[in-house]
Amino acid sequence: MDFWQEIFMALSRNKLRTFLTGFAISWGIFILIVLLAAGNGIMNGVSEQFSDKSTNVYMIYSGETSKPFKGHGTNRSIMFTDKDIRLLETEVRNIDQVSPRIYFNGFATFNDKSSRVFMSGVRPVFKDINNVKMMEGRFINELDDKNREKVIVIDESLRDKLFDEGTFPLGQFIFISGIAYKVIGVCENLEYSSGGNDYVPFSTLKNITRQSKYWMLNFIVTGLETKEDNEAFTEYLRTKLAHLHEFDPDDTSAVYIRSRQEEYLQTMKIFNTIQLFIWIIGFAMLISGIVGVSNIMRITVKERTNEIGIRKALGAKSRSILASIVTESLIITTIFGYIGMWLGMIAAEVGGNILAKVQEGKEISLNIVPSIDIRIVLMATALLIVCGVLAGFFPARNAVKIKPIEAMNYR
Amino acid sequence: MIRLEKINKTYFGAQPLHVLKGINLHIKEGEMVSIMGASGSGKSTLLNILGILDNYDSGDYYLNGQLVKNLTENQAADMRNQLIGFIFQSFNLIPFKTAMENVALPLYYQNVNRKKRNQLALEYLERFGLKEWADHYPNELSGGQKQRVSMARALVTHPKVILADEPTGALDSKTSAEVMQILREVHQTGITMIIVTHERGIALRTDKIIHLKDGVIENIEINNPETIDFTQEIK
Ligand SMILES: Nc1ncnc2c1ncn2[C@@H]1O[C@H](COP(=O)(O)OP(=O)(O)OP(=O)(O)O)[C@@H](O)[C@H]1O
Ligand SMILES: [Mg+2]
Repeated sequence: MDFWQEIFMALSRNKLRTFLTGFAISWGIFILIVLLAAGNGIMNGVSEQFSDKSTNVYMIYSGETSKPFKGHGTNRSIMFTDKDIRLLETEVRNIDQVSPRIYFNGFATFNDKSSRVFMSGVRPVFKDINNVKMMEGRFINELDDKNREKVIVIDESLRDKLFDEGTFPLGQFIFISGIAYKVIGVCENLEYSSGGNDYVPFSTLKNITRQSKYWMLNFIVTGLETKEDNEAFTEYLRTKLAHLHEFDPDDTSAVYIRSRQEEYLQTMKIFNTIQLFIWIIGFAMLISGIVGVSNIMRITVKERTNEIGIRKALGAKSRSILASIVTESLIITTIFGYIGMWLGMIAAEVGGNILAKVQEGKEISLNIVPSIDIRIVLMATALLIVCGVLAGFFPARNAVKIKPIEAMNYR
Repeated sequence: MIRLEKINKTYFGAQPLHVLKGINLHIKEGEMVSIMGASGSGKSTLLNILGILDNYDSGDYYLNGQLVKNLTENQAADMRNQLIGFIFQSFNLIPFKTAMENVALPLYYQNVNRKKRNQLALEYLERFGLKEWADHYPNELSGGQKQRVSMARALVTHPKVILADEPTGALDSKTSAEVMQILREVHQTGITMIIVTHERGIALRTDKIIHLKDGVIENIEINNPETIDFTQEIK
């Protein structure tokens, strides 16, 4: 109790010192958070721009054999079945979900309006594979696919052809070749596309069209970081498929394996460079914050050397002096550290809103969306607080160690 | 009360400086002595050793019957806190504490509770005519007032020994006389007192004058302070 009263008194009587120390800490944390947010903002903008290239997409097309193998002749066409899907999903660690793409050409009607429609039957993962951007509603999910739901995701152009300006498409039923599909989502038009951008669940379309052979499989592969990785993986895939379909593993025309690895690797390189840059800046800020805070703590302790000497002459034990100095610096750094943290987060938020307003509706190549990772913010704040206290602790321990007379005469 | 045997002290600066060269000294309980000597003769050094503010290189120092040697920091702090009161030329008050809080500080380190501390501090300030100044900060006080605050602080713990390093060094002759009168009164209560001074007028108001020269005790002069009128200004 008495201890805390002493501490509180020392802090409130030395307002200027308390304020300056506190300000240094608040400022350090404030700047750190604002810069982190700005860095993240740039990163967000870049990833939005590159989002269609930020996954390693693989496509396998069927082909014809060019070499005889195990009694099979040449020119045998290799088509995929559910067996291939199961093989890839269960036996290849880097693949999560495989989506074939099957097509259906039909005629869609809603009330008195109608349009030609070229739709694709796909699985949920296709959203990421084709980078489908939803405007309203949602994409096909696992349940839709499992239960063969008659649901459809339409693109903008089909929406405009079937629905009046005032009609809300979500939840409406449209008829395609005599079957009613419920609209669950609307997606953006693809810029370069030959159609097929209205999506229904794969299982639904497979059932309707009675298809069991597919000429194309798509999936996302994770964990391949280099060109060599990708080449080895392609070979591995070919061997697996050769085994299943009984063709020569060296026969490159039996199936065609394509990937967007080059784009993917390039994008990853850009991402990593930016990320590294942001981390370096953040780290530099953190270091300069620590140095600033440490300096001010060192100076205040130096300033107090006389006081320490006097207290020792009056019979204070080193431990007691050290405890009060450390507690004081802990209180200052914690309180002002959190003030700086909140101010920084508010500034990042406000800055983000202003930027969003400015960028709204404009054709800008890079949208900067500041954002903060609360865990990093908390960690940085905690680190600064710990460093501030340590920076106060060591000089205080030195000041307490020297002979009282030296401390008293210190100038 | 105080016994020094062959005390040696050397400062190891750019050049080693042998400041105290085998000091032997015995000061009995309740004695009031002064130390005189030329500047640089080692007076402050000696007093700091007596106050356990500094250490010595060789010899033995007994304070209140206890050997002061190789003490732990905590033991030294306890001895200072319980046995010794300091009065300095430059007062050494803590600037952000009021007169009362400065006086109460040594009691804080004796774990006396706040109420009792402040009450005792006020009592001592009143004794030295500073009751109205209790809530003032050191920079609002005159030199004489500051020195009276520091005397109150030195006495509030009932120490056995008062060590004063040129207590009147920063004061005019009238205020010096007042301070000496207070110290004399304090001495009357039986406290041992050692005063370092340059002024013979001050030294004559003590029982003995220890003359220090080049790190050795040159001679000890016995006074008869009863013949001196303490109300008189010091010449
Ligand atoms: N911390 C120190 N380091 C090195 N030398 C010191 C130190 N303190 C004092 N001295 C030297 O030791 C000698 C004695 O110093 P001391 O302060 O004891 O003298 P003094 O008799 O009190 O002098 P004054 O009357 O000027 O106060 C001086 O020459 C001084 O320069
Ligand atoms: Mg001196």
